Parts: sequence; C-alpha cells; structure tokens
Amino acid sequence: MKIVACIKYSLTLSELKVDPATRELRLATTPQRVGTIDRNVLEAAVVLKPEGSTVHGLTLAPAGAREAFREAIAMGLDDLTIVDSTNWAAGGPMATAAVLAAAIQKMGDVDLVVCGEASDDGVTYQVPPRLAERLGWPLLAYARNIALAGATLTADRDLDIGMQSVACDLPLVLTVTQETNTPRRPTLMDAVKAKKKPVVVWQPEADLGLSAEALQAAGGVTRIAQEGIVIARKEQLFQGDDMKALANQLLDALLAEHVVAE
Amino acid sequence: MEKFDAIVVGAGPAGATAAYLLAKAGMQVIVIERGETPGSKNVSGALLFSQVYSEIFPKFWESAPLERAIVGHAITFLGEQTSVNLDYRDLDEGHVPHNAYSVLRARFDPWMAQQAEDAGAMLMPGFTVDKLLQENGRVVGIEAGGDALMADVVVVAEGTRSGLLKEAGLRTDEYHASDVSIGVKDVIALPEDVITNRFQCLNADEGVAYTCVGHTGGVEGGGFLYTNKDTLSVGVVAKIDAVYKSKLQPHAILNEFKAHPFISRLIAGGEIVEYSAQAIHRGGVHLIGQLYGDGYVVVGSAARLLLNNVMTLRGMDVAVASAAAAAKAILAAREMGDYSHTALAGYEQNFKATNVYKDMVTFKDTYPLLENERLFHVYPELAGAVLGDMFTVGAKPSKKGLKALRDDMRGKVSLWQMLMDMNQIGKGLVR
Amino acid sequence: MSARTLTLDDLLGLDRYEIDEEQSHIQVDQSRCQRCQLQPCLTVCPAAVYVVTEGEVTARYENCLECGTCQIACDSGGAGGITWRPPRGGFGIAFRYG
Ligand SMILES: Cc1cc2nc3c(=O)[nH]c(=O)nc-3n(C[C@H](O)[C@H](O)[C@H](O)COP(=O)(O)OP(=O)(O)OC[C@H]3O[C@@H](n4cnc5c(N)ncnc54)[C@H](O)[C@@H]3O)c2cc1C
Ligand code: SF4
Ligand code: SF4
Repeated sequence: MKIVACIKYSLTLSELKVDPATRELRLATTPQRVGTIDRNVLEAAVVLKPEGSTVHGLTLAPAGAREAFREAIAMGLDDLTIVDSTNWAAGGPMATAAVLAAAIQKMGDVDLVVCGEASDDGVTYQVPPRLAERLGWPLLAYARNIALAGATLTADRDLDIGMQSVACDLPLVLTVTQETNTPRRPTLMDAVKAKKKPVVVWQPEADLGLSAEALQAAGGVTRIAQEGIVIARKEQLFQGDDMKALANQLLDALLAEHVVAE
Repeated sequence: MEKFDAIVVGAGPAGATAAYLLAKAGMQVIVIERGETPGSKNVSGALLFSQVYSEIFPKFWESAPLERAIVGHAITFLGEQTSVNLDYRDLDEGHVPHNAYSVLRARFDPWMAQQAEDAGAMLMPGFTVDKLLQENGRVVGIEAGGDALMADVVVVAEGTRSGLLKEAGLRTDEYHASDVSIGVKDVIALPEDVITNRFQCLNADEGVAYTCVGHTGGVEGGGFLYTNKDTLSVGVVAKIDAVYKSKLQPHAILNEFKAHPFISRLIAGGEIVEYSAQAIHRGGVHLIGQLYGDGYVVVGSAARLLLNNVMTLRGMDVAVASAAAAAKAILAAREMGDYSHTALAGYEQNFKATNVYKDMVTFKDTYPLLENERLFHVYPELAGAVLGDMFTVGAKPSKKGLKALRDDMRGKVSLWQMLMDMNQIGKGLVR
Repeated sequence: MSARTLTLDDLLGLDRYEIDEEQSHIQVDQSRCQRCQLQPCLTVCPAAVYVVTEGEVTARYENCLECGTCQIACDSGGAGGITWRPPRGGFGIAFRYG
C-alpha cells in the first residue's frame, strides 16, 4: 500500500508581525517551518502504515527549504517529494490542490492521502476537499480513531454536533485534526536514518506539465482591496478639580459613544 | 549501532570549524547541536575578528551573514554625568577583509554549520547530547535521548556551559564564580540609515564598536554597544560573584548602563527586540582547561579558551583557532590509527604554535586588571572630572591638568595607588 | 528617554521559547537551600527564574535563557542546590538574533 502525507511549509504564526505603518503582514520576514497540524498528518500516516507499505511525503514548497523537512522525514517517511514553488507566483487553495493532485497521479498507485484539516497559516479548509474532487476520491474529514482493515478505513468524524462513525473503501483523502493524535518526537537515530532518505524535487511545468498560466487560471483569486482594522483612539482627557463634574463629563462621553446605556 | 569517524558536540564556531575541517579531509563526521537551528542558543557581543576566520574560511566576508564592518573602536569611560572617549577610526576605506565585523549569532552560526555540511559533515540540530560514553576509561561515543552513537573521536565543543566532561568524571577543575561573568544584552532595532548617520558611518556596511567602563551599578564589569545593520547590540558583562554580592539583578545593571546619558542618546528611539544572556569565562592563558584525553578533544570555550584584554573580547576566533589545531591533531591521529591521549597530544602543541595562543601569552598580565575595582568605579568618574575641570570655563580660576587631577582624586584614590594601577595597566596593555 | 525601560517580564516576553511542558531542566534541592546563606540564585539569574515561594526556592524554568550562570553561582556562592541540564533538544530558548 502507498500512503501520501501532504505537508505544508507554513508561516510560524507566533512570529507573524503586522507592519504598523502599512498594516500589511510582514510575511517576508516571518520564519517558516513545517506546520503543527502537519505533524499530526505525519503521525497518522505513519501509524496507519501496514506492514510492507510505504509512506511518502508531498509538499509544495521552495526547493531551497528542503532542510526544514528533516524532522518530518525523521518521523517516518520513506521519501519526500517537493514540488518546487520557487518560481511560482500563483497562490490559493485551488492551485495548490491542482499541483498536489497532479503529483499524486504521477506518483501512481496511491491508496490513501492524508492531509491536515486546514493549514497553520492559510486555514482555508479547502485544499483537501478540492484535492479529493480532482482525484475523484471520497473525502473523509476530521478523522479520529482511525483504523485500516485491508482496503477499508474506519474512523470517527469529529463534527460540531458529535462523532460520526464511518467506514470507507480506499482510495480516499483523509483529513486529521490536532486532536487526532499526539505526534512523536523523532529520536537521533530516526534523524540519522532520515538523512539517507531520498528527497525528490519536481518542477510544476517540467515534471507535472502544469504551466504557470494553467496554475494562474486554477488559482483564480484576485485581491480586491486591503482594509485592515484601524482603531482610532479618541484621546479625550477630562481635567479639573471638581471630581463630580469630571465624573459627569466622563459619563456623558460614554453615553454619547454608546459604551454604556441610559 | 551507527558509527562515525568523529562526533562533534555543539555547532558553535568551535564545533562547526572542527566538523568542517574533518569532513573536508574525508572523515565521516556528525555534528549534534541542541538548538533547533545552529545559533539559536548562542549569544555573543558580537565582534568577529577576521584574521583567524580568513585563514580557515577564505573570503568568508563574501558569503557570511555579517552585519557591519567595524571601522571604529572606542573605549569609553562613563562617570555619573560624564563620558570620556578614546576613539579609534580606521579611515582607509578600501581594504577587505576589515579587522572585525559585527555579527548576530542566530544568523551567523547557521552559515558556519552550512560550511561544515557542504564539506560533507552531517548536521543534527535539535538534539541534546546527554552523556559521553566510555569504555575502559576511553571516550567511545555519545548518548542523546537514549540513542547511542559511536565514534573514533569525540570533539567536545559545548561552549561555556560544558557539562559533559564533568558528568563523565573527566573534568576535575571546577568553575569559580570569580572567573566567570554574566553577559546580558538587548538587541535594539533602529532604521539602518539612522544607525549609519548616528554613528558617523559612510554607509550601511560600516559600523563602530564601543567598549565602556563604568556605570554598571558599581559592579566589576563593562558595557558594550555594537552596531549591526538595523539593530544595536547593547550589553553588560559583569563578574558573577560581584553580581550576587551587589544584590543587583543583571537586567538592572544593564538598565543602569543604558540609562547613562552617553548610551541613552545612542540608543534613542530604538525598540528592544530581544533580551538575551550568556555566561562567559574570563579566559586567559593561566586558566586554559583540559584540551584532550583518550578518544576526545575539547575545543573553544568548553576548554575555557578566550582572550579578554579589556579592549577586545575574543572568543569566536579563538574557538576557531583551537578547533583547527585540534582537527590537525585528529587527522594526524587518523594516520596512526590511534586516538589515545598520547596521539591527540599534538593538539596542544598545534594550539601553542598559533598566534592566538601567543596573544594569550602577551596579554596574560591584563587579567589582574579585570580584578581591579578602581578601574570600574573610580577612574571612569575621575577621567570625566579632570577633563571637565580642564574644559569648563567657570567662576573659579582654571586649573592645569595635574592640579585638577590631584583635586579630583582627593578622597577617592591615593596618588601612590594610582601609580600602581597605571603600572598595572601599562604592564597589561602597553609594555 | 529612548527605548523605554521595559520590565523583566516585558523583556522575556520578547523572546521566543519552545516550552517543554513535560519536564523541567532545572532541579532544586531544598535541603541545600535551607542552609544556603547568600542565596545567589535569587540575584544572578537574568530571567529571575528562581523565586522563593512558601519558604522554598522554586525555578520557573520556562523563562530560562540558558546562560549557565545559576549553576556556577550556586556551586561557588551558594550551597550547591541547583542541578541545571540543557533542556531536551529543540526545547527552551530560541534566539532570533543571539
Ligand atoms: C556577552 C558575550 C559577548 C561576547 N562577545 C564576543 C565578541 O564580541 N567576539 C568574540 O569573538 N567572542 C565574544 N564572546 C565569546 C564567544 O561567544 C565564545 O567564546 C564563543 O561562542 C565560543 O565558541 P564555542 O564554539 O566554543 O562555543 P559556543 O558558541 O557556546 O557553542 C557551543 C554550542 O554547543 C551547543 N551545545 C552545548 N551543549 C550541548 C549538548 N550537550 N548537546 C548538543 N549541543 C550542545 C550549544 O547549543 C552551542 O551551539 C562573547 C561572549 C559573551 C557571553
Ligand atoms: S544558591 Fe543554590 S543552594 Fe542557595 S538557595 Fe539558590 S539554589 Fe539553593
Ligand atoms: S541558566 Fe541563566 S537564565 Fe537559566 S536559570 Fe540559570 S541563571 Fe537563570
């Protein structure tokens, strides 16, 4: 059996800053790493892996970031495929799903694809369903208590209204949440072995036949405007010696602003 | 069980250099670093002195992430409301490499580790080595998180906090609080052009370094201020025993230093973006720790190799020089197929032949200076007072220098004492 | 004045930590602290990790900057109550500048 774990090189959210002048997020200076949810993805894929099967990592990331995937590989991947996003301006979940689907098809004979419910930074929840759609496979989202028996996967779907137990035949796309499992910490020996695992880099156009234009078209997201949120301070200062008068002024101001009701 | 030719513990300047040189010579090397990336645990001032680096990493200045070339060094004496500056500028613009560059370790160390990796070493960040493995009194490998790795030779490059040797019963010489200082530092962000202008630099590639004495809460120590690209590194280094006797917490000492009008003007408008600390051994030729044993060598500040002559604090280049000396000895040991302490003894000889060691010998008389309390509170004040008397046109008749000095010294230090101290300074730094 | 004076908590808040929720890398032996006169740990730590709570010296290890000072101070000026080991790999302080 062949399992693919889709992982994302994500912005480290705790390090994300807003430029006070432009109100833009300082994306360029925010460090990136394999996301938190992706560790749950890897754990799920590695735990599910039946005897004699292989688990392959797949990511759309700049090829230069390969070092960042060391720990991911050490968690138990047999190899990693990076679809190089270095020269790729298109973004958005549709384009990502198109790339991942093409890569999975090229890998061939894949039985199971594991994704995170949503990435750490994009949080669109869109890639897995779009990927399933492209592959023409069922989607089993928010899975917990996952088990594999032959070609049938059973799991509990963690829905807002409760748990839903389902069984589904492979191939399928599975998504996991942070509650699905506790990711392992690779040992030094895991990391040493991971060094010898192959890392393959594919170019979207040369290897997957996805031209920049095609991806742009698939991406299909246009930014219209960026407003940001600005909270202007009123900076009103009430001064004087008469406490009672000051209190009344303050109260009037609060009433005028509808901060308190009459 | 995995076996390597060499295991290097720690990817600081010492470890990265050893790994680089050994891997380059064809050895199977693994470097284990406890930080999630090299440098993420490391704090220095930091000025990187070029000479030794350029011998090992030719043209490092072309690719390494350096902040600014240091074209100006100043020694500043801070009195309560005065400052006396001895300002040296290298005005010859053209030459590379410059004598020194400012660096930030979290950015610089990954570059060094990369050199080692490019040479073929295997870098393993994110793992703490828990102990050295021994067989019949010989170091044969390491253990990290329960996993054992074996090697012909282990390079201990753990830095000041080195605890592995002690744990293994291989180190008997303890640290003394009076030999170790604590360095605390703020990294303060300021726009690149503000720094360039404020410090009178030609452009964003040029920078300056201030070494300051005085205004550190009366605690024996000194302050520093170095310019980076768009940040300043501002810190104090104070002797640990002096700190606890003073009952002043390190960050309070740093705040006092930063509050001095001389410093506060230089950092005005800046935003602190990081607070860091690191213990630092005072180094010195008489305090060099043990350098090698059966199956292992100790390099960099793990072996207490450091050179502090008040004017400059050199640890990174000393670490590189020691690692290079050790690597040379290891390669010779490999030829012999013998990694016993006798085979590795060449390390000490190699190191003693370096200019770094010779510098350590040259400045051996500087160390008593660092113990001299008057240097930290009496003289900075005095220097300001005397020059103040000489420059100020006031209501009282002006005094000539010596008279001003005698008056200002009254009650603070005797003439005899000062002459003794001058002699000590002369012996330590000048003659 | 410039760079307004931040409290120690503000300063530590600027730093990035990967906190090991499972184990502390600092152990304090109370029996030694009881006979420690000077208690240098309370002064020397740049992150004020050591505090006295209910008569005991406790270590707020999550704030540790891993400078190594406390061990040295405790061994030579205190009563040797501290056992400081580096945190597990990848945990603890992670400087961005250093
Ligand atoms: C405040 C301050 C200012 C300084 N300023 C300067 C300066 O301006 N110029 C200068 O040249 N020097 C300066 N120094 C000195 C300099 O920092 C050191 O001398 C230098 O870092 C020594 O290099 P090293 O490789 O021996 O050790 P380190 O740089 O300390 O590297 C040791 C490495 O080993 C890792 N490690 C430790 N234990 C383990 C373990 N058990 N398992 C795995 N990894 C481990 C650490 O994470 C670290 O990366 C300064 C020091 C301080 C504290
Ligand atoms: S210095 Fe050491 S022995 Fe003394 S109180 Fe602190 S931890 Fe305890
Ligand atoms: S290592 Fe430094 S920061 Fe950490 S507890 Fe000890 S003194 Fe405090």
